[in-house]
Amino acid sequence: MHRPAGSGENVPARDQALKDTFGQYVRQRREDLKQADRRYSVRQVAARIGVEPSYLSKVERGDEAPPGERTIVALAAELDEDPDVLLALAGKVSTDLQEIIRKRPRLFADLLRELRNQPDHAVLRVVREVRDGEW
Amino acid sequence: MIELKRDSLVFSFNDVHPDAKLNIEFQRTLRIPDDDNDYPLPPGLGRFPMAHVDDHADNVPPAWLQRGGVMLPMYQSEAMWLNFNTTYVADRATAYPFAIKVAAGKVNAVTGETWVNGLGGNPQDYMVAPKQPWLDGYCVEKGLIRQFVAMPLGSGYSAEEQITGQAEFGGVQIVAYPMKREVFERRFPKVKARMMKACRGIDAELAMDFLEEPCGGAAMGLAPGGRMKQEILDDPFDINDWDTEHVSRCFVHICNSMVWHAITGKRPPTTPPTAKQYNQAGLPWFEYYAAEAKALKGSDVLNKLKSVAEMGKAKGDVPLPENESVEPKHTVHLRQGLAKDQVREGAF
Repeated sequence: MHRPAGSGENVPARDQALKDTFGQYVRQRREDLKQADRRYSVRQVAARIGVEPSYLSKVERGDEAPPGERTIVALAAELDEDPDVLLALAGKVSTDLQEIIRKRPRLFADLLRELRNQPDHAVLRVVREVRDGEW
Repeated sequence: MIELKRDSLVFSFNDVHPDAKLNIEFQRTLRIPDDDNDYPLPPGLGRFPMAHVDDHADNVPPAWLQRGGVMLPMYQSEAMWLNFNTTYVADRATAYPFAIKVAAGKVNAVTGETWVNGLGGNPQDYMVAPKQPWLDGYCVEKGLIRQFVAMPLGSGYSAEEQITGQAEFGGVQIVAYPMKREVFERRFPKVKARMMKACRGIDAELAMDFLEEPCGGAAMGLAPGGRMKQEILDDPFDINDWDTEHVSRCFVHICNSMVWHAITGKRPPTTPPTAKQYNQAGLPWFEYYAAEAKALKGSDVLNKLKSVAEMGKAKGDVPLPENESVEPKHTVHLRQGLAKDQVREGAF
């Protein structure tokens, strides 16, 4: 059987998967909120984050690629979601994180590769703790 | 694990329960008059800025580095209260409970005893959140505290100096213990999905001279200020319900606001209003009622402490240039554990 050689990534399929995952996640979260509060309709949420309702609707259906960082951050605030999580679902990394990595690329590249396969509790230890001393 | 996030301490016990999270804020407030009248609770004027002592290792006294923790700036004209917030666990319709012990200068704010690790039940030397939402001072009598006010360490006013005769530690010390997971799950069984939905999203509701001094010339200690109506509540659970195997503690150093800029390069907040200014503006004071809660009787040791005004008079000092009595004009009554519109029955 003929198999196309490539980078190992099917880029169009990956892009569609990102659109679907992001869209479904946003829609589910918005619909959940809408059940308790009608202000979470597509129209009203779109107005509050500064996009057209038809655009938000297409994003939710996976017909459009996820929006830019600023809109995702606004959407995260609107839906009470973590902006980094929503950005990751859209296949993006926030500008401030990119800046942190750019300043010390080798350190952070090594750190992230080290942590890639670690369980959550091990990663959590990397989060900065308030140090307790002797008293 | 403790993290410093948005000027508050976040205690997480993920190895006990994913929702075992406690947030402690240090709120700025005005000094209530130290005149032996009993005042209602003053407002929160925002969080004190906070920083890791390790981030300013070159500018803090060596003793601070040894003790670790965080630091905040305080003016002598201001006071502090601690705001306890625990994570609301929607599927159990409760906030995750914590036992919290607070000391100032290693003098326990509830019992007046010097610091010991662990929890003491007789007398109870800790508070329980979320039942206890705030702590504004030293528990001197049942239903009464003396406000935490900042005085220079070494000036003799702090509770630490009055009790131990030493000006060694200053600052605030905090230790938190989560409820044992199995006890939490037994005491707070899961609620029906319908109730969960209704609760979703609700979150139940802190220079060179300086370096050369052993404890820091600008280090501050907390001293007993004016009297305030606040109950320190009895533990509604059993002392064995607390998971003493999992503990996080933190030393919060306090420096004079005037040297905060020298240490951190950042400006401290502006000075707070006086009680008189605040009251004249018609701004609210607060009273808090926790239904079905018993208050601790208060500490005889702490009750015998001299307040800043009393100590100043004895020393011939004027530590509080602004200490005029006020008559609170507008008091807001806050209550926990009562149904909406339920009328509270008081003492008569």
